[in-house]
Amino acid sequence: MIKTIPDILNTTQFIGEHLLPGQLGQFCVITAFICALFSAYSYYKAVRTENRAIGESASWVTLGRSGFILHAISIFGIFYFLYYIIAGHLFEYHYAWEHSSLTLPTKYLLSCFWEGQQGSFMLWAFWHCVLGIIVMRTAGVLETRVMAIIAMVQACIASMLLGLYFGPDLQIGTTPFMLLRNAMQGAPIFATPNYMSFIHDGNGLNPLLQNYWMVIHPPILFLGFSSTLIPFSFAISALWKNDYTTWVKPAVISSLFAGAVLGTGIMMGGAWAYESLNFGGYWAWDPVENASLVPWLTLVAALHTLVVYKATKRSLLVTFILLMITYCLVWYSTFLTRTGILGKTSVHAFTGDGKSLTYHLVAVIGLLLILCIGLLIKRWKEIPRIKTEEATISREFWMFIGSFILLLSAIQITITTSIPVWSPLAKLITGKEVAPPVNPLQHYDSIQVWVAIIIGLLSASVLYMRFKKSDGKLVAKRLGITGSIALVLALLIGFGQKINAWQYDLMLYAACFGIVANIYYACFVQKLQLKKLGPAIAHLGFAIVLMGILLSSFNKHVISYNTLGINLMFNKPTAEENAKENFENVILYRNIPVAMGEYFATYMGDSTSTSDPRTFYKVDYVRIDSITNKVEESFTLYPDAFVNPKGNMGLISNPSTKHYWNRDIFTYVSSVIDPGKRTDTSKFQSHIMHKGDTVFLNNSYLVFNGFNTQVNDPRYTAKAGDIAVSAQLTLYDIKGFVKTMQPLYYIRDRYESRIDDTLTSKYLYTRFSRIIPEKGAAEIMIRQADPNTDWVVLKAIVFPFINVLWLGVIIMVLGFLLSMIRQITKKERKPTDDFPGVV
Amino acid sequence: MKKSHIVLLVLVAAAVGVIVSMFGDFSTYETFASISKQPGKSFHVIGYLQKDKGMIYDPQTDPNHFTFYAKDKAGTVNKVIFNGSKPTDIEKSEQIVMKGYNDANGVFHCSGIQMKCPSKYKKDMAVGDNS
Repeated sequence: MIKTIPDILNTTQFIGEHLLPGQLGQFCVITAFICALFSAYSYYKAVRTENRAIGESASWVTLGRSGFILHAISIFGIFYFLYYIIAGHLFEYHYAWEHSSLTLPTKYLLSCFWEGQQGSFMLWAFWHCVLGIIVMRTAGVLETRVMAIIAMVQACIASMLLGLYFGPDLQIGTTPFMLLRNAMQGAPIFATPNYMSFIHDGNGLNPLLQNYWMVIHPPILFLGFSSTLIPFSFAISALWKNDYTTWVKPAVISSLFAGAVLGTGIMMGGAWAYESLNFGGYWAWDPVENASLVPWLTLVAALHTLVVYKATKRSLLVTFILLMITYCLVWYSTFLTRTGILGKTSVHAFTGDGKSLTYHLVAVIGLLLILCIGLLIKRWKEIPRIKTEEATISREFWMFIGSFILLLSAIQITITTSIPVWSPLAKLITGKEVAPPVNPLQHYDSIQVWVAIIIGLLSASVLYMRFKKSDGKLVAKRLGITGSIALVLALLIGFGQKINAWQYDLMLYAACFGIVANIYYACFVQKLQLKKLGPAIAHLGFAIVLMGILLSSFNKHVISYNTLGINLMFNKPTAEENAKENFENVILYRNIPVAMGEYFATYMGDSTSTSDPRTFYKVDYVRIDSITNKVEESFTLYPDAFVNPKGNMGLISNPSTKHYWNRDIFTYVSSVIDPGKRTDTSKFQSHIMHKGDTVFLNNSYLVFNGFNTQVNDPRYTAKAGDIAVSAQLTLYDIKGFVKTMQPLYYIRDRYESRIDDTLTSKYLYTRFSRIIPEKGAAEIMIRQADPNTDWVVLKAIVFPFINVLWLGVIIMVLGFLLSMIRQITKKERKPTDDFPGVV
Repeated sequence: MKKSHIVLLVLVAAAVGVIVSMFGDFSTYETFASISKQPGKSFHVIGYLQKDKGMIYDPQTDPNHFTFYAKDKAGTVNKVIFNGSKPTDIEKSEQIVMKGYNDANGVFHCSGIQMKCPSKYKKDMAVGDNS
């Protein structure tokens, strides 16, 4: 397919198009790109001229600032015009046609942005602009260098939106303002000038993305990705200026901010997956999830070495390298998730945008790597190092170890996630095409549990040590106290929750230690001075996260078994065994209760409404005391699904979850009957019944207890001369007695009449047809509509203590933010020269 | 030698050990023919759904049993049993990646299916209702 830019060479005059918003939008794209380049160049010139006559550099700075502000305005303009096109349903534009539709609720219009590739680059650029303007106003002497880097990166991102085409396969960027007729050249519809009168609606947003998480999750995640640019730019500018003091404070603040926001974004992705998708959990080690986790790990590592550098002047080189790795990994994760290279390994499976994007991203990553490596080589000898050895009982030593472990963890995750990237190379060597582990959960869990243990123990103990020199006895005493309390706690939880794999017992201990030690530290060492509590709270949150992960995953179990059983995610040695155990779906016929864990679940029917495209499936859960038969608890879940969305066959299912403080019951529909196939073909069947006879029905049975001549039926009004008899039928099902049914037979004026008794919940119709006096029997007609005409296949999983995880994330993020506020408001001590050994 | 260097060396050695052992975890993309030599061991197989051979999913008999036929890249057609509910949209998949193993009878037991579907939105190229 040959594409061209929206061009004026097109001679056909088309009717009904709105070309102006697209042209203005495209103008903004080009302006944004040029202004970013201009700003980067101006700031660069400002750096080059800063030692010359005063006026020259200052005027370059003014130009750089103006360029960046114009660039920011243009980026906002791109947003405005694209929103105008989507909200105005201008389907002559490919973006609007592909990602939106007339029926799409207004609240999801923003989601249309993120669904497309260009939208996520726009979001990224948008946050860079916001952050860039803040940096511009606050960076002081480092402004020129930092802004040169930011503007350069912005030029790279803006180039992704350019949409310059140099032939069928060669293009630079993809513009969001492409017209449909240009995107689909050759389609016969565009031969007619009035093609717009045939396009009534867009393709609409992928139903999976139509929920509120999709509105808020991408902006937060991209703010997190964007904010990693700031500490990176400060690191680069420090090397560039050969000044290793001024950059530290803004780098610490922006790293804390990035850590908080990126952490929130990642876990929001987890919460989204958990609440609205049926992946069966919040974390699956999916490549797309890993791609966002890895930069966070290296960022947190960098943050810690940066703090070490701030306090002791050690670990500077490592800090630079970690910040560089972090930012390059952010681009690498874009490369992984956006080029389609993950294709066959990720459930998210974004489709690629062709080779051009791959080369484009590789070029940007290459540019960043050249910048980083070049600067490091240039300054290698000038970067200050400390030759003396740090004390073993010192904060900096163990913080450094912790950061290194985080880096190793990131490397492991990256190697496995990148299998599709390096497997062609491996194929050349070994001849085999390497595939991801058959059981990725087990693969990652079995390795990363050690990272969790070590980092958990370090985050518990490191605060008790001081920088440089610590009182070893005091540290040992405090750690001894907290470690013993943690041991008791871990034993209680370990036995209570039956955590019976020793690695996970160690992880449990690390989490308990982290919780106890950080609470103790906050209370008794820092005496709850709020402004100083940031690190202890962040570490506490991290320990709670570990606890939440452990408790919710280790004892996660499926209750929708055909036979009851416990499924331990971790402990299946092979995929084959997992497969055998994976009989995790159960069929629920309408109104027939099925035992599920300690509950009886009953599918009560479905419902649809005109305002919502989804079908809701009502599932009643009751818990009955097995001895007293009393209903102890009952609730209803409404898992929903898009059935045959957009005229396609299939089912897109969303879970419904019952939340308790200590566990969640997570239910989703994995298969439903085709609504068109529900028909009732059942007929009445005759049963001659004597007293005490039983008729077996679908999942229940009916016992005939005899005749009753004392008719007391509101539907029947006695008349003089009537002979009325009811049949006493008692219905039982799996849970026991259900109802007494009393179909009525009477003779009035010598004519037989009957009043049927029905029980809709069991689709059961009973009719007392006649009395057979010579046998003392009754002919009972029974019809039970086939409940097989309505069913759902359901999967239900119990996640114990998942709230602990969410609580931990919130506490950890609060800790980050508290530290950030502390760093912003704290008065800097005068830099002292009491660092012996600085070279 | 600095103490921290020793610790780092130990960590690096451990990490190298972990990474080397990790390669044992990695699977490979195989064909039905190549995996039948090692019955019971799990691999990845890339294939295509054979719609004309039919597929069976009857949740009323067993909601965790889905049978279909797939053709691998070498052209071999094999029966596949998946212990789970029928994946949505498998009919439309242009390619499927199956994780699983062959049993002694040459039936592929699948523990996971990943589908590559043609983009839902790009497929129906005919726009509007001007037919």
